[in-house]
Amino acid sequence: MKKRAIVLLSAVSMMGIMLTGCKDAEERVNADGESVITVWSPSDEPAIEQWWVDKINEFNAAHEGSIELRREAIVRADSYAYEDKINAAITSNDLPDILYVDGPTVSVYAANEIIQPLDDMFTQEDWDDFLDSNKEQGTYNGKIYAIGATESSVALYYNKDMLDSIGVTAPDKLEDAWTWSEFKEIVKALTKDGVVGTNIIMDKGEGLPYVLEQFWISNGTDFVSEDGSTANGYVNSPEGVEAAAFLNSLIQEGYANIDPIQKEFHNGKAATMLGGSWEVATLEKDYPDLNWGVTYFPVADGGIPTSPTGDWAAAVTRDVQDLEAAKEVMNFLMSKENVATYAQAIAKPPTRNSSYEVLPEYNEYPRSLFKQQLMETGHPRPRTPSYSVLSASYAEAMVNIFTGVDPQEALDEVAEKTDRDYQKYYANN
Amino acid sequence: MNQKQKKILGNVAFYVGNTVIGLIFVSPLIWMVASSLKPEAEIFKNLNSLSTFIPSNASFDNYLEVFQRIDMWKYILNSLFYVFVIIILDLIVNSICGYALAKFEFRGRNALLTLVISLMVFPAEAIMLPLYREVADLGWINEWAGLIVPFIAKCFSIYMFRQFFLDIPNDLLEAASIDGCGPIKTFFRVVMPISGTVYATIFILDFVAHWNDFMWPLLVVTGEEKRTIQLAIQTFFGSKPINYAPIMASLTISAIPMLIMFIVLQKYYVEGIASTGIKG
Amino acid sequence: MKKAVGKKSERTAAYIFVLPAVILLAAFLIYPALQTVRYAFTNYNIMRPDRITFCGLDNFIEIFQDKDFWKAFTNTLYFTVLVVPFQTVLALALALLISSRRKGVSIFRAAYFSPQVTSMVVVAILWTVMYNSNPESGLLNALLVKLGFEPSGFLNDPDTAMNSIIFMSAWQGAGYQMMIFLAGLQGIPRDQYEAASIDGAGKLKSFLYVTLPGLKNVIKYVVMITVIQAMKLFTQPYVMTKGGPQNSTRTMVYYVYEQGLQKRNFGYACAVAAIFFVIVVILSLGMKKLIKAD
Repeated sequence: MKKRAIVLLSAVSMMGIMLTGCKDAEERVNADGESVITVWSPSDEPAIEQWWVDKINEFNAAHEGSIELRREAIVRADSYAYEDKINAAITSNDLPDILYVDGPTVSVYAANEIIQPLDDMFTQEDWDDFLDSNKEQGTYNGKIYAIGATESSVALYYNKDMLDSIGVTAPDKLEDAWTWSEFKEIVKALTKDGVVGTNIIMDKGEGLPYVLEQFWISNGTDFVSEDGSTANGYVNSPEGVEAAAFLNSLIQEGYANIDPIQKEFHNGKAATMLGGSWEVATLEKDYPDLNWGVTYFPVADGGIPTSPTGDWAAAVTRDVQDLEAAKEVMNFLMSKENVATYAQAIAKPPTRNSSYEVLPEYNEYPRSLFKQQLMETGHPRPRTPSYSVLSASYAEAMVNIFTGVDPQEALDEVAEKTDRDYQKYYANN
Repeated sequence: MNQKQKKILGNVAFYVGNTVIGLIFVSPLIWMVASSLKPEAEIFKNLNSLSTFIPSNASFDNYLEVFQRIDMWKYILNSLFYVFVIIILDLIVNSICGYALAKFEFRGRNALLTLVISLMVFPAEAIMLPLYREVADLGWINEWAGLIVPFIAKCFSIYMFRQFFLDIPNDLLEAASIDGCGPIKTFFRVVMPISGTVYATIFILDFVAHWNDFMWPLLVVTGEEKRTIQLAIQTFFGSKPINYAPIMASLTISAIPMLIMFIVLQKYYVEGIASTGIKG
Repeated sequence: MKKAVGKKSERTAAYIFVLPAVILLAAFLIYPALQTVRYAFTNYNIMRPDRITFCGLDNFIEIFQDKDFWKAFTNTLYFTVLVVPFQTVLALALALLISSRRKGVSIFRAAYFSPQVTSMVVVAILWTVMYNSNPESGLLNALLVKLGFEPSGFLNDPDTAMNSIIFMSAWQGAGYQMMIFLAGLQGIPRDQYEAASIDGAGKLKSFLYVTLPGLKNVIKYVVMITVIQAMKLFTQPYVMTKGGPQNSTRTMVYYVYEQGLQKRNFGYACAVAAIFFVIVVILSLGMKKLIKAD
């Protein structure tokens, strides 16, 4: 008897589960007749999660009766999980109204008309206040498709004690930034006693193009052409091959590990590190005993001073129902005040010039250095609709080069794969 | 060397050998637990020496941080809920199917068996997107149904059940039939009660598999309401810089339910595998 | 085969019993699989579900010229051919190690089984750290150096990356097969061993002439389930190597994921998946023969 009851119960619960499924995925107007605007953004640190809660309450209180702002925190794993999620939502037309995307993917979504231009959404005064690096990152075909509240930069962290031990002082002016040959001499001298001279990001993923593209730019080339239509002759140009060969020589000659452990620099196992602006907070908090400093991103001999930029940014999707409401939300999220509070909560440089007035820490070293790089030498990642292919192929190629493949051969393959994707999907429309 | 010495030597060899090999097998897990008790700055220090397995000043701070930062209990409950529902439905649906394949004569039986065996090798990754589209069309995005229904029927479970039921003596079934039990009643009254081991085995296998689900919940679950424990752990990987201390703590937390499950069901599990395995 | 009892009621019961599973399998496995095959003949890019056009055999023609695909194909075979015997022998050795009736056996059994109760993602992260190619920071390399060997590149050397994954996978999976062997060993009658020992057979001989033949069916079964798992290799390259270095760990299922989701080349990925299905069906037909042989 008991067993039959269990079977019956399970059958009923199964039916119940099936029935509850019948409802619209995305609600557009709520019971009170307010326009619902849904935002997707990556789930983040507690401070940012709290920022969202506070700001959503603030916004909804101010727009009672007209707009309701909702936010879904999407898990962003270390790989491409967030993008998989967006891919899936595109497949089933389940996109939110406002979508946070990673900087270099803006072109991908823009080229496929997943997101729409924002040029009319902000006043000229607002646009003038946003940093050029961030506007550039969000631009595709002459229109701006995404704008973010925060930026990032990468500079050269160094262990002061180790630098002292070889009698070198790090440059404190942009024009004195180390050249590649100076940099190599220094890391060579620093490599000793089980400590490597430098740490190159080796995450086998997005980190590689993010940091290393600057070596191409500094050497007078880039990953792709200005219009993003071809990689051939750019990523695999003689200057590009030279950049790859330079990086490879650091690995092959033992000045950097191909397989660095996590926190290699933090633990005193690497004397320098090309690290993100976000490392400042970690070093201050978790490694108080480390005597460290930070200097400018190295420049090719006779090359262009440059540094990486880019961060997540907000875009309005094609599925938006109430464009006016979305505009209202965008202006709220990217207002002077909110850009500053958001940047403060997440401990990253803000994207509005005016925000730096209320964040005095960016006038002081070390944060001032990142701010200066952002404003003077920043370059966002390449803008091409084939970015996903470029990024993955590039990361793979660099690992291949570091394990013995000829740089020219490896980079030719990156160019070929990227261009094939562009030709297949984007060249004719 | 006399018999007694031989026996002692055998014992020593047995315990020493097994201890050494056993340590090799559990060492990565010990490292995980040890790291979860260390402060962030200690985790990647001294990786090349055995001291990496021993936290010098152990504390539960990382665990506190995990529970402060995210609503861990909720995610554990979410995972437990949907995994248990899948398992219960799996045990019913697949066992009756396996039983029919083992004990009933019907047209299409061989075809179905071939199909089940062929589909066993089917990688879920390959059908992820069409399946997602289907689930979205059904309106199951961000619904429990989307997490559960597609994974109830499993070829591997059907096959395991069939192998087990093949061994049940037909005399027993005939006796039940003489007592007036129909075939369905016979299954629930006679067969199910004596098949605890195979149910326990599938239970563990399912639990391990679904407790670790990542990709599918990621696609189906939006927002925080139905987030599973594996998704929650991944949130620690999301924002730079990546801190490994809370990751190690949350990985340890997520291993605990599986460990409990294994310890509790261990006895049945061995028997269950035995009874389905040797048939071949 | 069982003698038919009450044929008609049995047939009805059979259909009732198989129906739920059949419906669910049809809806959530076979239907999406057929969709996959359909998309294999299109230029479906994930970003453009509204612009799917039929492109005939283009994807398949491209696949046959795609060296990444062929590498993935041979890598999958390589992994399967190596991991199956390695893991099976390891599992059998572990089972023999703890088959005696001494105190504390269940602790060792739990230890050997413990990698199984940990998620592959966790295990892969842990091993990535242990496999670090620098003896200053990698536990295994530190050990090698202490024992007087050259450090190995492990996951960062195309010659050793796949073997490292094989070793780790066998370590993780052997506990499960060990359980099956344990059960099988219990099924071998004691008197066979006694008879062998009376005939003067030593340990090795009684293993060769009693244990192995007694485990014939168990070994078949273990090989089958290990092959099934091996063909689907995905998580290890996904977490540990991203298919590299130099293509050495890219597998079929990983390639499907990489092309389809990451690079959004979905039609192409479906074509790869379709080819994978064909291989799998051939394999499983062979396996059915193997099972039927008893």
